[in-house]
Amino acid sequence: MLATVAQAVVNGLLIGGIYALVSIGVTLIFGVVKIVNFAQGEFVMIGMYISFFLASRFGIDPLLSLVVSMPVLFVIGVLLQQFLIRRVLALGDMPQIFLTFALSLLLVNVALLLFTANYRTVETPYTETTIRLGVLYIAVAKLSAFIVAMLLSGLLWIFLHATDLGKAMRAAAQNRDVAMLMGINPDRVFCVAVGVALALAGAAGSLLMPFYPAYPMVGQVFVLMAFVAVVLGTLGNVTGALIASLMMGVAESLGVQFVGADSGLIVVFLMLLLTLALRPSGLFGGWTR
Amino acid sequence: MGTSKSEAVAARRSRRDFLKKSATAVFGAGALATFGIPRRSAAAEPVNIGGLYPVTGSFAQIGQGCVNAAKLAVQMVNDAGGIKSLGGAKLNLIISDVQSDTTVTRTETDRLISGYKLSAIHGCFASALTLIASEVAERAKVPLLTGSSSDQLNKDRHYTFTPFARASQFALAQLQMSKLVSDKPKVAVVFENTAFGTSTSNGLREQAPGEGVEIVMFEPYSAGLTDASPLINKVKASGANMLFPVSYLNDLILIIRAIKQVDLKIAINGGSGGFVIPDFYTNVGNLAEGLLGVAHWNHDINAKAQEVNAAFQKQYGEFLFEYAGGLVAQTFMIADALERAASTDPQKVRDAIASLDVAEGYAAMCPGGKVKFGPDGKNIYAHPVGVQWQHGDLAAVFPKEDARAPLLKA
Repeated sequence: MLATVAQAVVNGLLIGGIYALVSIGVTLIFGVVKIVNFAQGEFVMIGMYISFFLASRFGIDPLLSLVVSMPVLFVIGVLLQQFLIRRVLALGDMPQIFLTFALSLLLVNVALLLFTANYRTVETPYTETTIRLGVLYIAVAKLSAFIVAMLLSGLLWIFLHATDLGKAMRAAAQNRDVAMLMGINPDRVFCVAVGVALALAGAAGSLLMPFYPAYPMVGQVFVLMAFVAVVLGTLGNVTGALIASLMMGVAESLGVQFVGADSGLIVVFLMLLLTLALRPSGLFGGWTR
Repeated sequence: MGTSKSEAVAARRSRRDFLKKSATAVFGAGALATFGIPRRSAAAEPVNIGGLYPVTGSFAQIGQGCVNAAKLAVQMVNDAGGIKSLGGAKLNLIISDVQSDTTVTRTETDRLISGYKLSAIHGCFASALTLIASEVAERAKVPLLTGSSSDQLNKDRHYTFTPFARASQFALAQLQMSKLVSDKPKVAVVFENTAFGTSTSNGLREQAPGEGVEIVMFEPYSAGLTDASPLINKVKASGANMLFPVSYLNDLILIIRAIKQVDLKIAINGGSGGFVIPDFYTNVGNLAEGLLGVAHWNHDINAKAQEVNAAFQKQYGEFLFEYAGGLVAQTFMIADALERAASTDPQKVRDAIASLDVAEGYAAMCPGGKVKFGPDGKNIYAHPVGVQWQHGDLAAVFPKEDARAPLLKA
């Protein structure tokens, strides 16, 4: 029994790491640029296909292909901010929602056209390898994804707290007008924020590739969890999104184990409803960014 | 996600292109064949056969394989001299893309029947689509042959013929196969919580006691898993020695990998559908080795099937899968009926199909090796074959009389 619970918690934490990378991206864009990016999942999908093609054409390990997928997605993010998001910022909520939602539809359908609806998997030497820790089985692919995800989250935290650009980003997130008065260039800050957020999505894609099949609609599987995590962890709060993602992974896994295999999401959404009822601003509403 | 107008137009255009190309290909092949031979008294009018398959949309990949097989079959009939009782008339295959969509299936079936003088139709792979096409064909009094397994297709139909095993027979075969693995099968059924998952798993649960199979876990899950390990953790705790996943490909990939990761020794029978197509092996690789499935057709059932498989493999690079192989046999059943009817009139062709009784040749290329339709349009000899993934290929292993390879035991 104890072994089953422990295994369920470990499984939940490992997948929670992936949810975290996606949700941190969403929350970062929302916090800084004040726009909800519905297409975040599709950038995960792009990251997956980049890793897939690097692996199948050149035999590059998906974990190594991070060094390609992250910069590529960063550049896409900067361009996205510069040429699309920037133009709708001054408009109301609706054009912003339509922009990212349309982008999501567009990317899914372009991927369908280019790559077809087939599932693509990558076989790595560690895809099926597991480490045994007493009664626990830990899949190497998921563990390495989790470790890299936590490392990237840590790096982001350092970037936000210790560099001028990071501090400028947090300043712009807290109060855009005051930040501008202090001489912060919002265009530059926004570009970097969207770039970093997309780079994280790309990283999530590369990390998923050793154990999850890529297909055009794959982003939608992960983006749902990401949105819940973002709300649960307080909109715009990076640390909150990280902790909420891990919590949700564990809640989902325990739900599958002890409530029913179709009830994993029920537990997650129950958690969300309770949080919204008791702490409408999310679990980390009181925290500073 | 709605289909925009321009998308629809583009789809229609590409479908038209596709039709044009396939029509030219078939006509072209026919022209080549007749060119060198001294002309007979009068060139016999080609016989139009409709093929309804989803070559775009979610079933596209399998649909494309079906179209390839249908073309190959028509070419085989024509190369062998066409329909002799009709003066060597060639078959002319008219393909229509039903786009994995029920509404499109209805209009396309209608369009095909009213636009061309069709003698018979085959299609549509997915049962949901075949049910619609069969309704339309019934009203237009055009015979339809199909490999789709829904038992619904045999209710109140006079123009629909099903040469292969029915859905209810699949569940039974799957249960019986668990005896191959263990004398005391303890089965875990995990199924996606959709119409497909629920109906298939209920069929298994209802027939299990009669077959002496104990179901120790019966668990729906939300289709579109992000992680299968919690589910497999649960299977492990149930103490089952056999797993029946009722899932589509992406969940199956995750489930099979998760089983390997927790080092769970359990036999797996994935049933039919996505489990018995080459794409499954492409994605799962070596992990597929030894896994069991159920199919209405397999390429090793007899020498004829092996021969067609070799031709298909040469042309398309992968083995002839269940549905596509069955439809080569169906084309020959139609040719046999045309031969005996000596007419292209759909009503006469329908009657000839109803009285079909073959035990040799390509038309009898079915498990059991015989085709004869009962009053409900069911082939009275039809039964499924149990298959196993062996060395990247599917081998028939069950029942004994159809087994072509010994069962690999894990």
